[in-house]
Amino acid sequence: MPKLIIDNIPVEVPEGTNVLEAARSIGIVIPHFCWHPALGRAGACRACAVKMLDGPVKGLQMSCMLPAQDGMVVSTTDAEAMAMRRSVIEWLMINHPHDCPVCDEGGECQLQDFTIAGGHGIRRYDGRKRTYNNQYLGEFIAHEMNRCIQCYRCVRFYQEYAGGTDFGVMGRAAMVYFGRQSDGPLESPFSGNLVDICPTGVFTDKTARFRARYWDYDMAPSICPHCSLGCNITPVARYRELLKVVARRNDRVNGWFICDRGRFPKANVNALDRPRQPLVDGKATSWDEALDALRERLNGFLELNGTQSLAIIGSPRMSMEGNTMAARLHKLLDTGKICYFSDSVHAGQTLEAVASLTPDNAASQEDVRQADLVAIVGSDLLAEAPMMALAVRQAWRNGAPVYVVGEETSTLFEYVAVASLSDIPLAEAKHPVLICGTNHVGSDIIDTAARNKAKLSFILDGPNAFGCALLSQEYGATPLSEAVASGKIKGLISFESDLTLELPAGIRVLAAADCRKTPLLSRAEIVLPSSAWVEMDGTFINNEGRAQRFKQVMEPGLPIKGLDPAGHPPRLHRNTPPGGEVLPTWRIIAKITERLGSEWIEDPLSDQWERLRELDAEGEGISVV
Amino acid sequence: MPLISDIKAIIAGFGVTLHHMLRRPVTIQYPEEKRVPYPRFRARIVLTRDPDGGERCVACYLCSAACPVDCISMQAAERDDGRRYAAWFRINFSRCIFCGLCAEACPTLAIQMTPDYEICKRDIMDLVYEKEDLLIDGCGKDNSYNFYHHAGIGVTQPRGAGLEERLPVDVRSLLP
Repeated sequence: MPKLIIDNIPVEVPEGTNVLEAARSIGIVIPHFCWHPALGRAGACRACAVKMLDGPVKGLQMSCMLPAQDGMVVSTTDAEAMAMRRSVIEWLMINHPHDCPVCDEGGECQLQDFTIAGGHGIRRYDGRKRTYNNQYLGEFIAHEMNRCIQCYRCVRFYQEYAGGTDFGVMGRAAMVYFGRQSDGPLESPFSGNLVDICPTGVFTDKTARFRARYWDYDMAPSICPHCSLGCNITPVARYRELLKVVARRNDRVNGWFICDRGRFPKANVNALDRPRQPLVDGKATSWDEALDALRERLNGFLELNGTQSLAIIGSPRMSMEGNTMAARLHKLLDTGKICYFSDSVHAGQTLEAVASLTPDNAASQEDVRQADLVAIVGSDLLAEAPMMALAVRQAWRNGAPVYVVGEETSTLFEYVAVASLSDIPLAEAKHPVLICGTNHVGSDIIDTAARNKAKLSFILDGPNAFGCALLSQEYGATPLSEAVASGKIKGLISFESDLTLELPAGIRVLAAADCRKTPLLSRAEIVLPSSAWVEMDGTFINNEGRAQRFKQVMEPGLPIKGLDPAGHPPRLHRNTPPGGEVLPTWRIIAKITERLGSEWIEDPLSDQWERLRELDAEGEGISVV
Repeated sequence: MPLISDIKAIIAGFGVTLHHMLRRPVTIQYPEEKRVPYPRFRARIVLTRDPDGGERCVACYLCSAACPVDCISMQAAERDDGRRYAAWFRINFSRCIFCGLCAEACPTLAIQMTPDYEICKRDIMDLVYEKEDLLIDGCGKDNSYNFYHHAGIGVTQPRGAGLEERLPVDVRSLLP
């Protein structure tokens, strides 16, 4: 643990930390462009100069290239270091265009910040600026090469970290160019991270092009709902429209990056034809009338068919709050069934996988990155959970061998294809990790992992599949296919569920709550519009049993864009925005239970889940295994 | 002696009154009579055009960020030629305090203050000006500046043909 002094502040940092990181740890930010915590150093930009006053090395040094050592005395405010930084930034700005007003990075641009921090204000050079031709990089990323400052971050991420081969650096000297051989969409499923990682505006998000500025964003810490890994994100909204999604750092889970599947799809939230008003038999109505109608029909139904004929359906894509409330509704009505999964085989495997995980053997993405052997069983990671494939690539880059049983199409890492689990030398590794798709969960895998002290990671189906499995055990839930096959079920109330089975015509869908326009909604007698995940607070439990909180990002309602064809937003005042009458599903269930004579429930997390109430959205999450 | 100083004070006081009685009145009989303010006077805000007739505003949101009373709102969008413009632009003059910070913040000289101070309305909603009310057919105070000629990206001219630019580099060439 080297001890050094930075600007008269003594600091002790772990071995291998560089001076720039050591300064950051005590809140001193030295301007830097090429250094990135996830990519390490390149020494390409020369902006992080500091003066070493005493110690093993002396004089002007690049703080990112210098490992912290005992006895170092560092000054970041020394006149020589400041002059160097100012000059370097002035050089960087010589060719940088004067287009901040029309650049989407403006306001969240590291180059802007460090130009000011470095002390460069007025342009002295009056020569001409270098220009480049841009490339078409697909529908998601815009390219503006004139803004480039040659820090090499993009190509280091794209080729080294993410294993892409179609994007690189060309040319030489002052003509260095970052792009593809020819125009065309970027092939890597992690290409969106170029937007985050570029310190200036060379790569910007085309899907949110020219829509808003950083200081106007509605932002909150959130969790990606697109697969079971629970990557941390920051969704960005403006004028009731989800504009873009940015990766949020969580060293235990996704690190610094997210995949394109989590970044670019926004249609579910912004769709104009999303359910936004309660419907009774297809007619728009108010919440009060819809809930009254539901109570009446529910009472009539239960009287006619008995309580055992009703199924309440939760969903692995609904928050923990919604799913626990569905269980409470089930208990209140004493109904026949509560279902969280559609398919019985799938449900059994998910439950078995969840039951086998303990705090010691559940592998996070960080455990995968640090593993010295990775075995993948029956999972096409790039298709099911792309960030897991990226984590495996990091383990492979660090020298861990990768073994694959079954199909794997990933080109992110080299692997040895083996016929069965027993062919993998798990016992030889110190920190092996076994990654398994849900459809291949079996006692053999769990036993093999236990025998070899390997950590386990299951790729589940849905952002809260883990939570649903725990609730299934707690409340003795039945898979819907089994419940339907028993023939007792005559009606159901569904909450955000995606049914994978064909529902027999005789079963009434009394009510369905959802934020998406699913086929089930067209069959539901009463449609209850619910909030999308960015419009409410909630909790997801990811595939390793890590409970993580997501916060409300935006107010629900029809986006202002497109509201008025005359070209400007409406000039009328109203208290709630049009289409803003949606409610979080747990609140809808609370309203239903209140109608049915129960007390109003203020906090949906009860009993053993109360410990999740204080969950910090900015933290690393709480393990519930 | 207090009596003498009192009399002095009374005479001096009435002296001031008498002086003002004999002065020319300073009141202007508005609205019959109107004062002509200086060009730099800060009143109604306009959006100007560049010398080539294009809208100068690129909807960069700097004026709305600078505005201390939050009376400016807009939505940026992109034209087919890559030009950034305001899809809608709204200034709420019932809230505006005419401080001029927006005009100072504007990097393209689009938003400018004019000396037109007569903007009273019966209905407060009539003080909410939309883009079509704000945009004028002229350059305002600077009739030569066109942001895109200096921006360093190709929008109004081919790439590299701006005023301070070299032609695009050929990355596949080995020539210096």
